[in-house]
Amino acid sequence: MSSVYDEIREAAELSAAPRRSPSRPLVRVDLSTSSIAAEADRLWEALEPLAAEHDVDLVRVGTLGLSWLEPVVEVERPGFGGGGAVVYGPVRPEEAGQFLTAALGEHPLEDAAQWLIGARTPVQGVPSLSDHPFWAPQERRLMQSMGVIDPESLDEAIAAGAYEALDRAIEMEPMAICDLVLSAGVGGRGGGGFPAGQKWKFLLGAQSQTKYLVCNADEGDPGAFVNRVLMESDPHLVIEGMAIAGKATGSDYGFIYIRDEYPLSIARMELALAQARERGLLGENIFGSGFDFDLEITRGAGSYVCGEETGLIASVEGLRGMPKIRPPFPAQKGVFAEPSNVNNTETYANVPLIVQHGADWYRLHGTESDPGTKMFSISGSLERPGILEVPFGMGMDELLLGCGGGPPDGHTPKGIQPGGPLGGLLPASDLGLKLERPPFTERGVLLGSGGLILFDERASAVDLTKYFSEFCEDESCGRCTTCHGGSQRLVEVLERIMHGDGREEDLERIGVIDKTLQNANCLHGQFTPYAVRGLVNYFRDELDVHINDKRDPAQVAPGLTRYLITDQSDPRLEEAATFCPTSCINRAPVESDDDEEPSDELGDWQINEPQCIHCDVCREIAPDAIRVEDRYLTMLSVV
Amino acid sequence: MERFAGLLQQLPRHQGEMLRALHLAQEELGWISRDAIRLIARHLRVSEAQVYGPATFYAEFRHSPPPKTLVTWCSGPSCRVVGGDRVRRIFEAEFGCHMGENTADDELGLWLGQCNGTCEKAPMVWVNGRVVGPLSMVDTVKLARGLKAGDDPVTWPERPIKIAPATFVDAESTYGSEHADSGPDGTNDGTV
Ligand SMILES: Cc1cc2nc3c(=O)[nH]c(=O)nc-3n(C[C@H](O)[C@H](O)[C@H](O)COP(=O)(O)O)c2cc1C
Ligand code: FES
Repeated sequence: MSSVYDEIREAAELSAAPRRSPSRPLVRVDLSTSSIAAEADRLWEALEPLAAEHDVDLVRVGTLGLSWLEPVVEVERPGFGGGGAVVYGPVRPEEAGQFLTAALGEHPLEDAAQWLIGARTPVQGVPSLSDHPFWAPQERRLMQSMGVIDPESLDEAIAAGAYEALDRAIEMEPMAICDLVLSAGVGGRGGGGFPAGQKWKFLLGAQSQTKYLVCNADEGDPGAFVNRVLMESDPHLVIEGMAIAGKATGSDYGFIYIRDEYPLSIARMELALAQARERGLLGENIFGSGFDFDLEITRGAGSYVCGEETGLIASVEGLRGMPKIRPPFPAQKGVFAEPSNVNNTETYANVPLIVQHGADWYRLHGTESDPGTKMFSISGSLERPGILEVPFGMGMDELLLGCGGGPPDGHTPKGIQPGGPLGGLLPASDLGLKLERPPFTERGVLLGSGGLILFDERASAVDLTKYFSEFCEDESCGRCTTCHGGSQRLVEVLERIMHGDGREEDLERIGVIDKTLQNANCLHGQFTPYAVRGLVNYFRDELDVHINDKRDPAQVAPGLTRYLITDQSDPRLEEAATFCPTSCINRAPVESDDDEEPSDELGDWQINEPQCIHCDVCREIAPDAIRVEDRYLTMLSVV
Repeated sequence: MERFAGLLQQLPRHQGEMLRALHLAQEELGWISRDAIRLIARHLRVSEAQVYGPATFYAEFRHSPPPKTLVTWCSGPSCRVVGGDRVRRIFEAEFGCHMGENTADDELGLWLGQCNGTCEKAPMVWVNGRVVGPLSMVDTVKLARGLKAGDDPVTWPERPIKIAPATFVDAESTYGSEHADSGPDGTNDGTV
């Protein structure tokens, strides 16, 4: 260890001591984006005035990943049952006082039972979190400090070991770092899986005074929030990884490109950068070694193709974020025409761990093709959505059904959407696939960057495909007609099918569009047909029913269904009518024989079909009196 | 505008500052006006077209003034599989405007948002940036009408509404427990 780092470490440990070996109880509140969406900020406000009274230290932390239990609170009581930390959730803001009293009392096991989840570190008598199905199979490396340290405190990060690997790497030869990362076999986490060490060597070998690093934190895939959690919960891990990459590639400056949808990530990264600079962990002559490195943040503005590396580079340069044809690759001509290297946030975050523990340690988990661990964000129809880190090669069923608990309320899994809009669709029968790239590629889909969405029988595969195709159309940069025109045609065909106008030749037409799109300029267009290919390959029955029988088994396509009133006597119809956004539920006055005096009597309830927007409000209110029918089937039976 | 012009001066005169300048304009003015584009072009020493290009490429930049209360609808897949598209149709019908538009009085507006990974709140919207969800369809109508009636978007709803139909009619008698059981988050999607 360099003496400079030693000093920094010692000072940080001293200042973080009250948090690391506390003398009074610590109450850690998860303040990350999804937790705040569950009102963790209001919980914090409610706890603050109570902290003094209960003599506790209130600590802001990132997420443990237990999204379905948010807001999550962890209580660590020195001297109680061995002094471990117990996780509770969800704790509602209005329960703050009651919760503190219970969790800090004599019998938290009984009194706080309604919130109790488990002990993260051993507490006598409290069930361990590692026995929880969500936690048990996890291998938390990147997530080790997440939800434990205050992401806004550099002291806590350093005391937990941050920047130790940088100190070590700075003493190493650049080529040795590249070799280490290459032998560990870290694949790019952005979806491509290209060996990071190899890419670094390209940049190291580039002849230029100026070289740039770029961190891809655009995370455009809906349903993926791995990078967000990394930046919000342990920002210094990302910064340290980039600094090591800087040393390894001979680069002294980098850009972190964060999507605009992540304001908290941007704020925490900005703060972390400022702290690191102030402490001399970034800037000139780091640890007195002569190595300079600094970073800046570029804030995106809502564009999916800016996640593609050449689009991202264009965006950093202040242009429209339109991808370019490669070559030249970024290592030849990147940001401002200088040689550059683009990696995903999670790719960089793995690097400090490898420098610290070595390539063999890294390969203890994972598979031949994908060594190490991977963070996954799981959502959709799940009992326990959240974010976790597991070894590559684990079964997808173990992750989604085991950890995630499968669909709630007895629904049955229907399919999986891995890897974002370009990833494709898989049927539930593929749940057994191993979580590594090859089996997914073999099935014609992409494992992608870590988002996995499970859907059940209530969702329509056709509707989902239309959504992803629409997304790809919307986000097409517009440079090549193949892509923006092709995706437009695709959406049109799917839309027509969902309106009962499907034709037999549509399958052929989809095939032609698929082939055409494969000739698009960039991967965005080339991967656009993955979703529809999944539909045709794995949900063919459903598509056929749409086309041939004009029926939507999931009953979500407005063009193929209609709402019918089946019980005129239900008193709730009155209320359903007032809630209908388009006032399409009415009863006309009964026509009276007497022309002069219209009758007060009202006739039957009716739904005015052309006005109906299929919003389901009426059926939610009067489920026994209103039914969704197949539009064409009922029409036939009427004739 | 003056304040924006002043802050703009603090940015380096380099095209790489484009996104920062546009964000600054949107923060200060609420949208990217023609005047803002002119100022940015002069400051960064590029043509107006070179500003207009990015300003219209990125979905987050507005080209008309924002409404007082902005409802951003999550278009993401996790929301969609639990009825997100219905939420959209309800808002469009209640507000009488489409995604990206404002009501005639500019009080309310709709915006198409992307998933930011708070999917366990699906289906959801952001009201002036604050997540509201999971929304049943009844909740959605109540939210839309509440906002139309001028409910304070900062304090309303008090909290992400779940199923409890607290504020209208006689909840117990009109709904019964059956309705409350319709789903984990009050939505009952598609199948009966
Ligand atoms: C349309 C499109 C969108 C992409 N979006 C992302 C993204 O959001 N985040 C990301 O890390 N990589 C994304 N990629 C992959 C990047 O182009 C690039 O391969 C990656 O950032 C390289 O980093 P890695 O080697 O560490 O994975 C996208 C690719 C395409 C074609
Ligand atoms: S899909 Fe709506 S928040 Fe993720």
